[in-house]
Amino acid sequence: MGVKDRVRHSMIGRSFFRAPDRKTTRDVAAGHWANFFLHIYPVKMRREQIRFRYSWYLGAISTVLYGSLILSGIYLMFFYVPSPANAYGDIVALETEVAFGQYIRNVHRWSAHLMVLAVSFHMARVFYRGAYKSPREFNWVIGVVLLVLTLLLSFTGYLLPWDQLAYWAVVVGTAMAAWVPLIGDQVSTILLGGPTVGAATLLRFYVLHVAVLPALLVLVLSVHLWRWRKDSMLDVERSEP
Amino acid sequence: MTEQTPDNGEPTLSGESYTLTSEPLLIDGRRVLGVVPGKPATGDTKDLVEEDAVMVWPHLLIRHGVAALAIMLVVLLLSVFFDAPLREIANPNLTPNPEKAPWYFAALQELLAHFHPLIAGVLVPTAILFGLVALPYLDRNPYLKPKHRKVAVTAFTTFLGIWIILTLVGFAFRGPSWGWVWPWIEWYGEL
Repeated sequence: MGVKDRVRHSMIGRSFFRAPDRKTTRDVAAGHWANFFLHIYPVKMRREQIRFRYSWYLGAISTVLYGSLILSGIYLMFFYVPSPANAYGDIVALETEVAFGQYIRNVHRWSAHLMVLAVSFHMARVFYRGAYKSPREFNWVIGVVLLVLTLLLSFTGYLLPWDQLAYWAVVVGTAMAAWVPLIGDQVSTILLGGPTVGAATLLRFYVLHVAVLPALLVLVLSVHLWRWRKDSMLDVERSEP
Repeated sequence: MTEQTPDNGEPTLSGESYTLTSEPLLIDGRRVLGVVPGKPATGDTKDLVEEDAVMVWPHLLIRHGVAALAIMLVVLLLSVFFDAPLREIANPNLTPNPEKAPWYFAALQELLAHFHPLIAGVLVPTAILFGLVALPYLDRNPYLKPKHRKVAVTAFTTFLGIWIILTLVGFAFRGPSWGWVWPWIEWYGEL
């Protein structure tokens, strides 16, 4: 028995790993099943489905970029106050005084743009693969919700630097809300917290950006992955002529 | 269904030849109380294809790990060589020309230049969202290969092509007062 097996079979090792043996395929599957982090994945998949050309791993890439955004975003939150008096100065300080501030801000910015791209390509890849077909229709719908959440996260984050670029992009982007029939003015007021983009808008976008939308995205993503795992071994190609 | 007994005259689980008998049915030396052919009445009724299945660990997780490292390398290189933009502090009294929405809304902004805001800003995005949500329910064609689903592939590709062109035009080919510019001469794209 090697050191690894000894550790796995000790009292603490057993409590930790639950399924200490890794000898047979069944052991490995049991270990996989008992692991919190691996439970996101199915235990087995068809060989064809795990190849690069099947999915281009765009879903995994989107998720990794989301992780990068959470980590870099938490770092940025330590140095940022969402008010018109502070926001811009905080970004300047981030770039000039905070350790790795410029780099982490760059990581957050480029990860965000890449995530919008990755999620869009993911949708296109799923379409051309026909992977939205029965019984996966609803997971496609969940995916559309995730795309919208990604765009909203990116857009709410766009305002936070409070520079000319951020301010006027959001003025242009939110101007459309006022054209919603019948309730346009109300929608616009709720979105902006007033008649124009101002202090209330910045605070609203900040709260949406760092709390509401990320939590919502994690929740919806969990459902997305759970359904992906449940359907992973389905034979969707049996009807091919 | 599971294993069959070897051909020793005992009834087996497969085939139509199974007949009711007073002799107990033995499978692997165990007595079976009853056999109901077909799918289970409850639980998992999906058709699973087990052949050619591989363990996710390590086969898929290694690949996902490599994909993760690759995309993080891209992020690292972008972040080392390109700084995120930061202009002057926001000034509500000084409208820049052109005003540009983020690039992923550039197609909508380009549409705004041609159509009434109610159409470009409300109806088109709403229609796109509803169209995407409805897609798997409208497209009931069970085939997967593009050559068997010409209508869906043509429609989606057309939409995607138009959207990409509009995005590129709005992002890179529009300058002051939303006039046409050539991006290799004047650059107004914003990230």
